[in-house]
Amino acid sequence: MPCVEKSQYDLCVEVLRRLDRAGVLKNVVLVGSWCTLFYKDFFGRTKYMVSLKTRDMDLLIPQPSAIKEKTDVAELLKDLGFVVGFTGSEGYVRLEHPLIIIEFLVPERGRDSDKPYPLSQLGLNAQPLRFLDFLVQNTITTKVGATTVTLPHPANFALHKLLVLTRRPSPEKQIKDKEAAMRVLTALIDKGQDNLITDVFYTIPRRWQTKVKKQLTDLTDKKILDVLSAHKPTTTTAGQ
Amino acid sequence: MKVIKSVLKEELANSLAMKRNYESQLARLPKGSLVKKKIKGHEYYYLVVREKGEVRFVYKGKQPGDKEIQKYKQAKEYRAKYRKLLSEVKKQIKFLESALRGKEPV
Repeated sequence: MPCVEKSQYDLCVEVLRRLDRAGVLKNVVLVGSWCTLFYKDFFGRTKYMVSLKTRDMDLLIPQPSAIKEKTDVAELLKDLGFVVGFTGSEGYVRLEHPLIIIEFLVPERGRDSDKPYPLSQLGLNAQPLRFLDFLVQNTITTKVGATTVTLPHPANFALHKLLVLTRRPSPEKQIKDKEAAMRVLTALIDKGQDNLITDVFYTIPRRWQTKVKKQLTDLTDKKILDVLSAHKPTTTTAGQ
Repeated sequence: MKVIKSVLKEELANSLAMKRNYESQLARLPKGSLVKKKIKGHEYYYLVVREKGEVRFVYKGKQPGDKEIQKYKQAKEYRAKYRKLLSEVKKQIKFLESALRGKEPV
């Protein structure tokens, strides 16, 4: 696997393998910047450059109530050197290792709240965030080592990044996220899947569509903007 | 450049938090190491600890119990692991700080 330190990749493989064996991974969708790394397999021969990513590995649990078995995730990964850390004034749990930091997310429903969502079955808590349901609307799977991992479809990933861009706290993060989104969208177009971007785009509410389009103001964004504007949605659904 | 710098800053903050976390985990581990001594054909367990620069042997009996033996064995393993990772984190901090400092004077 290119673009990542071998030891970091090996640790990632081991973490995912353990989560899979413990029956946790089937309830998880890997989101965040690590996706851009694993999309390399999805794009195959299409030219695609992996974006700058941090150590943070975000694990989204779309349906926390679906987790029935009790698994102490911190204990599961303890002997690999992971320690439990807390972030933010709210105390979101994260599992820290010099090579990977694992954070847990759940879709935020109802009123805005910064309160951590308790994941008692996993002995953790998660950060609730808006618009995460959109990420799991269409998913793909990929192999990481011998483990099958679920990721958001690249079209959903990229459009979600554009959708939440203004919610990012720092302008640098906004630039980084936009760049990641543009790389994925450009690769999708180069792969001949521009119809798919349009299909996904038209599944989101009009207000969200406007928000996405508002982010595409640069001259270099024209290609993407054309895809979003020119096509009418087909009847096919986004999938693998 | 600003983007790269912000990523490095974020990673530095993460590494600093991680350093504190590993240090606190190390401090929480039971101190000392359990050793078995053979004296006149009999086996006795001692806890070896360093206190104020001196090594002390604390007698723990002929057979301290599996749970206690396991506790110190595990602590020894985790101490070695956490120290190694802590040293890795310290190297990261050094690297990130110098990368962020750029050409500014030290």
